[in-house]
Amino acid sequence: MTQRTANVTWSGSLMDGNGTIESVDSGAFGPLEVTWASRTEDPKGLTSPEELIAAAHAACFSMALSHGLAQAETPPSRLDTSATVTFVPGTGITRIALVVRGSVPGIDATGFAEAAAAAKEGCPVSKALAAVPEITLEASLAS
Amino acid sequence: MTIASRVGDPEGKTSPEELLAAAHATCFVTSLGSELASAGTPSEQLEVLCTITMDEVAGMGHRIVSSAISARGSAPGANAASFAQAAEAADAGCPFSALIKASATVTVQATLEEGS
Repeated sequence: MTQRTANVTWSGSLMDGNGTIESVDSGAFGPLEVTWASRTEDPKGLTSPEELIAAAHAACFSMALSHGLAQAETPPSRLDTSATVTFVPGTGITRIALVVRGSVPGIDATGFAEAAAAAKEGCPVSKALAAVPEITLEASLAS
Repeated sequence: MTIASRVGDPEGKTSPEELLAAAHATCFVTSLGSELASAGTPSEQLEVLCTITMDEVAGMGHRIVSSAISARGSAPGANAASFAQAAEAADAGCPFSALIKASATVTVQATLEEGS
């Protein structure tokens, strides 16, 4: 069992106040400032819950894909993944778009697409976010 | 980020689960602030801890099994009951809570700091 904790504070109102991701267990980042405006409009250099979810999903997917490719004896030399989370205020997260480009010796486009689809289904973050209405995947090999 | 730092000692490296904990805590704290303001008792200061637990579930591999929220703060005019009610509404209103509830357990503990 693995546990990870984050500590966040908020001062003032939603629209005019601001929050801070003070710290996380690992110490890898923080403090990071967040505001409602940075979440829903121009981020102006500040992060947001949706950006953190995008980072979590891209990282989880990349690990799962790397693991799957290694098990199939075609380990990747490099995977470049982006995750784009769409947030509609009042509705929630409506879409996550995963795009991966891989350098994988010994695999063809079909094999890579299959491995990517399996990673999208199997990674713990995908499972946790299965209620997102639409999760898309685009997988291609670097030439 | 590595597999070892994800499931074992983080050794200064973050992980998908830690990023989700930061996302959920941030999402929840903004919802709670908004609920308290709507109730006419805007908060002065709120602090939210979120702990995400990933476990190996028989036959299903690694799964995120729970997200535990613990909130505390000061909101002049609020009492323990209205603060708890706002926390419940925040849980219902935070988009991340809504999503993760479909696959994992979400718990919320709320404590009003009185006085000051």
